[in-house]
Amino acid sequence: MNMQQAIKMTAAETALVDAYTAQIGDLPGDGAVLSVRDTLVHELKTAGLPTRRVESWHYTDLRTLLRAVPAADPSAFAERVEALVSGATVFSVRNGHADFKGNAPEGVTIRSYTDSLLDGSAAAGLAVLGTDDAIGRINGGLVRGGLELSIADGTELEDPLEIQLVQSLGQAHTRFPVSFGANTKATVIERHLSTNAAESLISSVSDITVGEGADITWIILQQQGAADTHLGQIRFDLAADAKLHLFIINAGGKLVRQEIHGKTSGEGADFKLRGINLLGGESHTDVTFTLGHNVPHTTSTEVIRNVVFDRAKGVFQGKILVAKDAQKTDAKMACNTLLLSDDADLSAKPELEIFADDVQCGHGATVADIDHTQLFYLMARGIPENKARAMLVNAFVAEIVEELDDEPLVEALESVISTWLDKHA
Amino acid sequence: MPAVQETIDQVRQIDVDQYKYGFETTIEVEKAPKGLSEDIIRFISAKKNEPEWMLEWRLDAYRRWLTMEEPTWARVNYPKIDFNDLYYYAAPKGTTGPKSLDEVDPEILKVYEKLGIPLKEQEMLAGVQKSKIAVDAVFDSVSVVTTFKEELKKAGVIFMSISEAIREHPDLIKKYLGTVVPTTDNYYATLNSAVFTDGSFVFVPKGVRCPMELSTYFRINEKNTGQFERTLIIAEDNAYVSYLEGCTAPQRDENQLHAAVVELIALDDAEIKYSTVQNWYPGDKDGKGGIYNFVTKRGDCRGKNSKISWTQVETGSAITWKYPSCILRGDGSRGEFYSIAVSNGHQQIDSGTKMIHLGKNTSSRIVSKGIAAGVSENTYRGQVSAHRKAENARNFTQCDSLLIGDKCGAHTVPYIEAKNSTAQFEHEATTSKISEDQLFYCLQRGIPTEAAIALIVNGFVKEVIQELPMEFAVEAQKLIGISLEGSVG
Repeated sequence: MNMQQAIKMTAAETALVDAYTAQIGDLPGDGAVLSVRDTLVHELKTAGLPTRRVESWHYTDLRTLLRAVPAADPSAFAERVEALVSGATVFSVRNGHADFKGNAPEGVTIRSYTDSLLDGSAAAGLAVLGTDDAIGRINGGLVRGGLELSIADGTELEDPLEIQLVQSLGQAHTRFPVSFGANTKATVIERHLSTNAAESLISSVSDITVGEGADITWIILQQQGAADTHLGQIRFDLAADAKLHLFIINAGGKLVRQEIHGKTSGEGADFKLRGINLLGGESHTDVTFTLGHNVPHTTSTEVIRNVVFDRAKGVFQGKILVAKDAQKTDAKMACNTLLLSDDADLSAKPELEIFADDVQCGHGATVADIDHTQLFYLMARGIPENKARAMLVNAFVAEIVEELDDEPLVEALESVISTWLDKHA
Repeated sequence: MPAVQETIDQVRQIDVDQYKYGFETTIEVEKAPKGLSEDIIRFISAKKNEPEWMLEWRLDAYRRWLTMEEPTWARVNYPKIDFNDLYYYAAPKGTTGPKSLDEVDPEILKVYEKLGIPLKEQEMLAGVQKSKIAVDAVFDSVSVVTTFKEELKKAGVIFMSISEAIREHPDLIKKYLGTVVPTTDNYYATLNSAVFTDGSFVFVPKGVRCPMELSTYFRINEKNTGQFERTLIIAEDNAYVSYLEGCTAPQRDENQLHAAVVELIALDDAEIKYSTVQNWYPGDKDGKGGIYNFVTKRGDCRGKNSKISWTQVETGSAITWKYPSCILRGDGSRGEFYSIAVSNGHQQIDSGTKMIHLGKNTSSRIVSKGIAAGVSENTYRGQVSAHRKAENARNFTQCDSLLIGDKCGAHTVPYIEAKNSTAQFEHEATTSKISEDQLFYCLQRGIPTEAAIALIVNGFVKEVIQELPMEFAVEAQKLIGISLEGSVG
């Protein structure tokens, strides 16, 4: 039997390939970029979207879940929105088109990613992370724009940078290579919004390198519409003594896959992941994380909090790999879930792969309803049940927001959370 | 924290080049021709004097197997197995089934003597053993003897080889065989359903507490043979049985296949305790030879408040692919899995459990400890799931792994799936969270924290292992004593 035989394509697969074919003369890129695109789309055509038989997609059968892909509409218009926190420098990308209004602060160089595609400098970065990297494949094939940021050595930014992705409908595929120089200090907010209830599909890849001794906070706030598909990926590479605090809030979307793939490349690197997934309605949200502790003496902690209402499905897959010589690695991962509906679903797969013998690695995962003793405690003090529940749910997630050492930011995020909870709880 | 010296020494004692059971016995055997075909299955079935329906059952499984593909998801690597290059039936000449002890070939008896398995009832009664243990001895493809059958019969317990049971208790077999692990379950289980040769059958009727430990000892002796064991244990309402199996094989350069299926069925308020000491030949220090152990073990807590508990000490086999599971179907049922898996040399272990919560108020507990040394790979793979209607499902999972040396790998792959909001699942990889109450109790009595933790975690396992009749019990106990110090999640 010929195993190479092409699969029978689903409507979504056909739509993705058609989107590529339709734009083929129009997609930016030099020869090298176009050849990478061709390969990626060809792979998509022959292998199809991943199914649950692909281990990293075990709980998100993209082939079945991705029903149809909306067509891109070049005339669509989306408006710029207010910054999440005042004072932030906003770089706005609307329906896939980057807008350079707003002055970049000192030390920050900004360039259109479309230009990098055109001159070919983006070609190497388009490579997928592995055969199961469906997001990298879709995005690499169809990416049209985005921003390239580079923060000069020693730059310390007082106010956050906000990369704002606003989508009204259709498709958008964007990419954000960002390099933080040595000893930089910055907060970046990557915000995904939709302006209306129309269906849209976006894929977005942020590819960041953190230089020696840099201290970076990166926030991903995903608030897309209830009909939207969000395929997000963030890749990172940490140099010696670099610190990255990655904070992800998912509070929207119908089909969401947020991937986080990183590695530590220098001793003393420290990674912190905090994730809050607020899941309701009929949504399916998958947060998949891999971290390679590749060198000795690096640390990481990951805390994921899921709150699942209605008929929502939540997935967390986390994999920590400790390479052979990465002695003295200290990695701790926790995934806690409040499952608040009998029609909801939560699957967690916290994996460890360890090849070094002098390390400390641990993981914990819990799934439960609200603690009834806590509920009782509050109700005994005269707080009505629904309010007491809301308080406990809020406390469950707010706890990790407070870890952010930036008051306006904490307030802004807390308000996002409480607005969401008011609507769903 | 690296492993402590004491642990390193203990693991070294059971390293692959220390394998004590690698001797080979020359016995005249009768074999089926090499290869696998419908004719071979007819041959096996005829050898076992099986009724027609059993043969059909096997052939169905075989036809399905032909359409299946070998699973590749486990974290194990091995060259492709040529299923046509194996003998599927090998029996000591003249044996067609278990007989009385006097009729058994003295050479075979010597084997069991050498392995430290008590087959002589008198000896056991004479106080050689502390407690009575009934043994079913399976040698290659046949059961050579089953002890204490008469005494068990008086209590109403049926303990015999599965081949005998198919002839003598066809109704029970028809009613239960394949109901927990269907013939279509997975590649190896389907293969097993087609070609299984022997194994044990246990039936404990309503209200009976089995008066002694039951045990089966599996020995592969013949070259190039696969052993396909099939075990079926049924505990009716309010019954209790404790069963243990042990396994060894000679030291050989080529790999041999052991593909077993074990099915447990616990009805209302019944309890089955199943322990395994798996000590198949692990291959030599260069990774040559060893048993491929591809096993499907599953227990079905069919009745309310039933309980199934799996305990395993895994030290042998070149490759282990084994997930003793519990289907918690009955309301209030309970599943337990306690495992110690030690891999040395080039061994590869991918083992764990599945706890499938279906009924209301079901609970399960998983304690797994993996120790990897040499250039081995040790993976814990487990699934805990609560279905929509599994109200108040509870699970506690703890898996620790320990690495000795920097050439081996330890992996943890838990799958946690909750579909009911009243489910409460805890997956722990740290040592600090085991029952605070018990810990407090020990500390209060002056036992230091670490000793207390070891005591508590290992307490469950110890209780079963101390009763093991085999020589191996000594080593097993040492393993249990291994300090938790230096363990990683």
